Amino acid sequence: MRLRSGIAAASMALIAAGTSLAVAQEDNVRVAAIAPLSGPGAFDGQLAIEGMEAMVEIVNEGGGVLDGRMIELVIYDDKGNPEEGVSAAKRAIENDDVDLLVGGWFSSVALTMKEVTRDRMLNIMTSTQHPNTTKEGHDLLFRLNATSTMMSDTYSDFICDRMDIDSIAFITINDDYGRLEAENYEKLLGECGIDFLGNEFYNKDDADFMTVLTKLRAMNPDAIYVSAINTAQGATIYRQIRQVGYQGTTIASAGNMNPKLVELSGPALEGVYSVSLFAPDSDDPELKAWVEQYNEMFDNEPSFIGSLGAQAVEILAQAIDKSGAVRDYDKIAETIRANEWNTLLGDITFDEIGQAQQNIYLIQINDGKIETVN
Amino acid sequence: MDIETILLIQQIMNGLVNGMTYVLIATGLTLVFGVLHIINFAHGEFYMLGAFFTFFASKLLGLDYVTAGILATVAVASLGIVANRFFFWPLRREHEFTLLLSSLGLALLLTNGGELIFGADPKYISSPFADGIVAMGPMILTQQRILIFGVGALMLLLLYFFIQKTTMGKMMRATAQDAEGAALTGVDIRRVYTVTFVLACGLAALAGALVGPTAMIYPTVGSWAVLKGFIVVVLGGLGSIVGALIGGLTLGVVEALVGGYISLGFAQAVGFAIIIVVLLWRPNGLFGVARRAG
Repeated sequence: MRLRSGIAAASMALIAAGTSLAVAQEDNVRVAAIAPLSGPGAFDGQLAIEGMEAMVEIVNEGGGVLDGRMIELVIYDDKGNPEEGVSAAKRAIENDDVDLLVGGWFSSVALTMKEVTRDRMLNIMTSTQHPNTTKEGHDLLFRLNATSTMMSDTYSDFICDRMDIDSIAFITINDDYGRLEAENYEKLLGECGIDFLGNEFYNKDDADFMTVLTKLRAMNPDAIYVSAINTAQGATIYRQIRQVGYQGTTIASAGNMNPKLVELSGPALEGVYSVSLFAPDSDDPELKAWVEQYNEMFDNEPSFIGSLGAQAVEILAQAIDKSGAVRDYDKIAETIRANEWNTLLGDITFDEIGQAQQNIYLIQINDGKIETVN
Repeated sequence: MDIETILLIQQIMNGLVNGMTYVLIATGLTLVFGVLHIINFAHGEFYMLGAFFTFFASKLLGLDYVTAGILATVAVASLGIVANRFFFWPLRREHEFTLLLSSLGLALLLTNGGELIFGADPKYISSPFADGIVAMGPMILTQQRILIFGVGALMLLLLYFFIQKTTMGKMMRATAQDAEGAALTGVDIRRVYTVTFVLACGLAALAGALVGPTAMIYPTVGSWAVLKGFIVVVLGGLGSIVGALIGGLTLGVVEALVGGYISLGFAQAVGFAIIIVVLLWRPNGLFGVARRAG
């Protein structure tokens, strides 16, 4: 009897909580945040969501958007899978009736998810680097990260000019992003006379890379380029490169560096270069405010992927204020395209297909810290 | 030796080390099936726990890698007692599917609990042997990988003698043949259950502690482990320890050769291809014994 009344009380409490939640939701601006929260990409998804949450806190503390409406994140797990990404976006739009949508951390997910949001939902894509995310995107779609083509143009110039290598081999992830990376660099580095010795693909759930790294080492390249989009696999690859006895140069793929990766990889990443939109030693006041808020809320170190999440929230909040609309997606999209946006990663604009034009910095790991190279 | 031969031998060595990991995982799985006729989907989670316990034992208690690994193995082996007591022993008279579902539930509980308690961020178990390279002529292995192979081989040998020579081992074999018959002759079935789970969980945990320093660990790593375990068990035959040994080493070497000469993308598929071929050709596995239905 006591148990039964306990259950009854608990369900009453739940119903009460549910209603108050529903009331609160009515005037909140609800943003779907779809990210990989389980599987090998889980940590990166966590960093992304944390970055968003820190910026939501800043916006809400500053009075929210429009006439004091709060921003609320509705979080979904895409498991790093295209199918799960599609289903999460459908649930967000059809069942949960969210106002806006942020997603697309991995290219394979972004490329399928954009078909769900096509012409019906304002969609900010974040760290996806595949050019087709925007090239085959739609009027309501914007992408923050530089495309792998934009990154590789900058990065290959640097590799050609400043690194003293004659040959290179690649280990890349077997998805849309990885295949394009290998293709881009083979062409770009070939143009400046660096021999492309070979490329080995791995899968997003592989946990051991000794066999392919043994194979790459046997090719005897001056450098091995590692394209790793998630932290767990990246750190394993960097460590195992040393464990197969390779002693040449390691080059880290563009836009995938974060403090955790540096910590986990230990000596294997020392002196290694990469490029990023996020200059951790920048003194931009917006960035500083976000870093401070982030450190207050979370234990992880603020990372590039988190800063992209924050930038998505920042741009949405500003665009809602400027356009005065939450649900009029055409109007918001027009506003985003027409203006320059002051964000934590600097002032940015979008081109006509929704691609952000951001600064790209060269970075290097020194004494376990990510530093900007001039 | 020419470079091609060196590469071939190096890949076979890589494969044997990975294979020994599979053997350790699969032995526990095959033991639980062989003796108790339980298919334990949660087996991979004990591998995950072994790795995480090692990580936390060295981080929170400040223990060195070897002590932390031993402690983690013992702790997870003891968890085997608890898992058996709550998830398997009470259901022993139920249909096999009930046990299957119970183990699946336990697996989900441990994975999600792991994500909640340990956090989703990948972790690295530092070991003094992780990056130490041992050159054998032109061939290279890290000390950690030699340790994996050596400890794995030793454990299997000990397990073999335990099962063949001790009274407990004989009781386990008796239970494997016919649980009711064994009980009638005075075998303490309850203890057999407990010991089997302790051994199985301990072996899985040991594999986790050994492999931990070669790759990053995260709470969902157990699903990888149980998958490899099942491939080996199907290949070697459910319930056969010799089968697990040969099956595990074979899978490791085949994966290494396919990864090294074709592509890593293909190496994963090859495990499943092996399962299909084996099931068509020898449904009881290469070393399995046909079991009467019913």
